[in-house]
Amino acid sequence: MKKNTNKLRLCISLLAIMISFNGYGQDALEKAMATSGGKSEKVIATFKATKLINGHTNETLYKHELDFKVDHRFGDIAGSNGGIKKFFGLDNSTDVRIGFEYGVTDKLTIGLARAKGATAVQQLYEGSLKYRLLEQTVDDKVPLAVTLFGSNTIAAVEANKDDPTAATSYRNFRERMNWVAQIILARKFSSNLSFSLTPSYVHRNLTTFRDPNDLFAIGAGGRLKFTKRMALVVDYFLPFRNKADKEYVEAQRATKFYNPLGVGLEMETGGHVFHINFTNATAIQEMQFIPETTSSWLKGQYRWGFSISRRFSFDRKKAKSEGKE
Amino acid sequence: MKKLLFLAVMGLFCLPAFSQILSTNKAQVSFYSKTPLEDIEAKSITGNSVIDVKTGKIIFRVNNRSFEFPKKLMQEHFNENYMESDKYPTSEFKGTLSAPINLAKDGLIKMDVDGMLTVHGVTKPCKAKVDILVSKGTVSATSTFKIKIADHKIDIPTIVFKKIAEEIEVRIQATYLEKK
Repeated sequence: MKKNTNKLRLCISLLAIMISFNGYGQDALEKAMATSGGKSEKVIATFKATKLINGHTNETLYKHELDFKVDHRFGDIAGSNGGIKKFFGLDNSTDVRIGFEYGVTDKLTIGLARAKGATAVQQLYEGSLKYRLLEQTVDDKVPLAVTLFGSNTIAAVEANKDDPTAATSYRNFRERMNWVAQIILARKFSSNLSFSLTPSYVHRNLTTFRDPNDLFAIGAGGRLKFTKRMALVVDYFLPFRNKADKEYVEAQRATKFYNPLGVGLEMETGGHVFHINFTNATAIQEMQFIPETTSSWLKGQYRWGFSISRRFSFDRKKAKSEGKE
Repeated sequence: MKKLLFLAVMGLFCLPAFSQILSTNKAQVSFYSKTPLEDIEAKSITGNSVIDVKTGKIIFRVNNRSFEFPKKLMQEHFNENYMESDKYPTSEFKGTLSAPINLAKDGLIKMDVDGMLTVHGVTKPCKAKVDILVSKGTVSATSTFKIKIADHKIDIPTIVFKKIAEEIEVRIQATYLEKK
């Protein structure tokens, strides 16, 4: 009898162990899943386009992608040059730019562009290089994205031979060149919010008297996505001019320098990115809007602008090789 | 003697419960969207899955970021606009096979798998046919099934509506090995 109760006890305890092992089996199934360690994933789509409004973002194109982009800036909406008689600026265009960019690799993008040019320095041809140096990772091992941008803009406008002090009094080809170098630091704070900071250097080979050849500036930009495909974009540049020189040039030209500020709406529809924006900058090229913005938001000298970007992909190799499998 | 035999039998019962989990982290998941305008396909080769051959329970998980598209921009759109991979990083299936798998017997078995599929944060019941091939203690599973995009609340804007199929075909291929 006693032997039997012992056996029963053993039986129950074994059953209990068995059940617990089965339970463990369930957990083990989950646990076996959890063990897969992931490597640091890169943050994608910090911005949706290679440019915000005036300034560049950290984004480059993917390999074998071509981006065709048209930028347009109209005349002043309000102020002495705007209003109904100029149809709120739509009668004029201060600058137009048509550009192509191509992704040599996922990190390196080259660009060619033609812009009208907003000052006397016109008929601009730009060649540019953009290189993605660092990419932010999801686990924050790399908290910032860093992209380098460099461009050379050549003014093809006819040289002003009558006035040797003019901004276009070119004596040789070298004087037509304008260089821009930027370090674009960007961070995607959440899936909806990204910021960028852009220390910039502009070098113009020919400028008017006391207008600096070398100019440093800092740019800042942000993007706030409020629906899946629409975002508010803002960017601003602050050039560091020598005060005495600035006042001199302002007095000479009877104008004032302002800092370019742009605010816009970004719409993305799979391959196309549209921007509708307002900015006081009349020019589109960095070598012009950073040093040469002489129109002010407060005087109504801001304008409609838009940009349309269309990305085409020519990277079909992978698709073919996958099809074979 | 009787006791010993009883113990051995009990032992046999509980042993398989924790020793017969097979797993893989190289499962292939591909999906196809076919429309007259555009054929889209993407593939991940790093799907994670475990299977308990005794109970037929199965968990399958794939990182949405691991899908590779022939066009990288498409891949970006997939993660950014459709799957919202920041919010919903993985797609997952938890289910049970219609029968347990006998590892000792090599051969092809056709069976069903029934469970819950979570894509884009929306969980829906999902049923599929699955071919199970047992060979020398490993299990290979292949399955093809369809997912309706609308079921998982994935928004397709009208401008690209005709380029993306309403039903996506998903193909799974996984070879499970014993968990070390």
